Amino acid sequence: MIRYIARRVALAIPVLLGILFITFILNRLIPGDPCRAMLGEKATDEVCDAFFKRYGLDQPPVIQFGYYLGRVVTGDLGDSMRFGRPVTQMLMERLPVTIELALLSLLVATIFGVILGVIAAYWQNSPVDVFTMIFANLGVSIPVFVLGLLSAYLFAVVLKDTPFALPPSGRLTAGVRVQPIAVAWGMPDLGGPARGLLDFLSQMYVINGLLTWNWRLFADAARHLILPVLVLSTIPMSVIARMTRSSLLEVMSLDYMRTARAKGLNESNVVFRHAMRNALLPVVTVVGLSLGGLLSGAVLTETIFGLTGVGRTMFDAISSRDYGVIQGFTLVIAFTYVVVNLLVDISYAILDPRIRLG
Amino acid sequence: MSISAGTATPKLEIGSATKRKHRTLWGDAWVQFRRNRLAVLGLTLIVLIVVGVLAGPFLYPVDPKQINILEASAPPSMAHPFGTDDLGRDMLARCIYGGRISLSVGMAAMLIAMLVGSTVGLLAGYVSKLDNVLMRFTDMMLTLPQIPLLLVAMSLFRDPLRMRFGLEAGAFLMVVTIIGIFGWMPTARMVRGSVLSLKRKEFVEAAVNVGVHSSSIMWRHILPNTMAIIIVAATLSVASAILTESTLSFLGLGFPPDVPTWGSLLYENRNYMVKAPWMVMFPGILISVTILAINFMGDGLRDALDPRQRQ
Repeated sequence: MIRYIARRVALAIPVLLGILFITFILNRLIPGDPCRAMLGEKATDEVCDAFFKRYGLDQPPVIQFGYYLGRVVTGDLGDSMRFGRPVTQMLMERLPVTIELALLSLLVATIFGVILGVIAAYWQNSPVDVFTMIFANLGVSIPVFVLGLLSAYLFAVVLKDTPFALPPSGRLTAGVRVQPIAVAWGMPDLGGPARGLLDFLSQMYVINGLLTWNWRLFADAARHLILPVLVLSTIPMSVIARMTRSSLLEVMSLDYMRTARAKGLNESNVVFRHAMRNALLPVVTVVGLSLGGLLSGAVLTETIFGLTGVGRTMFDAISSRDYGVIQGFTLVIAFTYVVVNLLVDISYAILDPRIRLG
Repeated sequence: MSISAGTATPKLEIGSATKRKHRTLWGDAWVQFRRNRLAVLGLTLIVLIVVGVLAGPFLYPVDPKQINILEASAPPSMAHPFGTDDLGRDMLARCIYGGRISLSVGMAAMLIAMLVGSTVGLLAGYVSKLDNVLMRFTDMMLTLPQIPLLLVAMSLFRDPLRMRFGLEAGAFLMVVTIIGIFGWMPTARMVRGSVLSLKRKEFVEAAVNVGVHSSSIMWRHILPNTMAIIIVAATLSVASAILTESTLSFLGLGFPPDVPTWGSLLYENRNYMVKAPWMVMFPGILISVTILAINFMGDGLRDALDPRQRQ
């Protein structure tokens, strides 16, 4: 097992280096002179010389890459020229928003996807099955932004004065107060990594509301998240439902299932203890692979629903050519993704011994 | 009598044998395909959409760029079946024109994706030394979150290409290339898997033994046998290319604003959704139906062309 993990980690290293290299050359790809792209057309030659010195741009590319690596390792991802703030600081604010959205969507997608898939497989070819599969097909075919716009229209315009009305944008209703968790817990002077972690969690309003017993904050934040989560979870839910169905159908036709039934086990035992354990293995991979889609979907969902997460920030940065932010956020998004995939691979190997031995 | 009877019997057999239709791979696949009702529905819808988009301007000769402020944001009516947008331009005409661009982007990007994907898949599957490197690279491309990267790529290459090839052609080239470059990975994996199993078949061994050159084994013996998989992958990749194009346009990074595509129509009109929902509804439905139809057809093709997956 440890050998397997070590091998997977070793294989991830070149990928991570590749990502670092790509984000490194991102800045070189900017059309024109990087100094004037960063500081504006009016920058004088002296200013530019100082700029080149400061960022090590007067050095050979290999050394520049070394500098870049050094800065990334110490957590310095450069500055946003639009906001004049360190990119790391912006990430600490906006990453939690996206993580909250993505994890909730993944949770919803997994729970409902597996349930739908099991129902469809168990009553194969029944109306339930046909309906589920049509739903799953629709889910992967309707673009995220169409679904987003239509659901926003439905819940915020058509159902405006009914109890089903949902807010189409933003994270909180005006007037709902948010406190950092550390302050709510009476530790405003806390510092160091613990404070950093608490502040990070504070930005996830649902979790903040739960941890600080702020019911109003929790309910309001959750209400604002319903539509984005609904929209973002549709694609992974469809994929998971299809995967669960086909993999359960495959397992159900195997000999050991007949044995289980023949020895008189009751039906729920057969399905949940015998079939599901094996059928869910491929589903785990799909759940892991959905993460890339979630990150992509987050760009759209956050743009439509006005959430200031990583996706929205990235989109704004591209519109305003804020290369510092583009570079830093690309790096973090790609890194997160590789690490999550690594974890999925490892969990897959824990669940299925054939993988690590084969 | 007995002699004539003896000669008549084989004649009858020959007659019945020639009458029975010769079974081919494609004929077989077509029979299988027709059994799948959803796939036939998909095919019908696609034919309708393609014909509508191609013949549309002749059947419905309305200029998509004709501005008519007096009829701005008019709801669907006989004169304007899809309504008009905020400048009074006819939405149906814009949807037809936009469909031409969306569909041609889908086709062109698919061609690039297939070219790259089947080359990579073929090389990785056949040349063992390249397998690991190429598949690592494919995995890396697959694991990267696409939209953020597409956004970055678009913002980097948009201006230089526009300057060189003009506004519309530059945008087309860039959108197609970038979507193609980010869309070949599933094909590469599928082709590789198929090549790996084909490589061990007797006919390939025979070709190796009579001294056929590797490149011509790949080109003449293996590639034709992966065609079924490539066709399925191509179908599905058209759908994902159309989706990606509309996504880029929706984010305002695809074609310039005056060129309507289904995605950019949504992007332009999204702020009018409350006042004039038809401005968003029709392009949205068109994108969804097209992708759904292509996916249905792709699933049907897969079942029809890949006998191993038949149930």
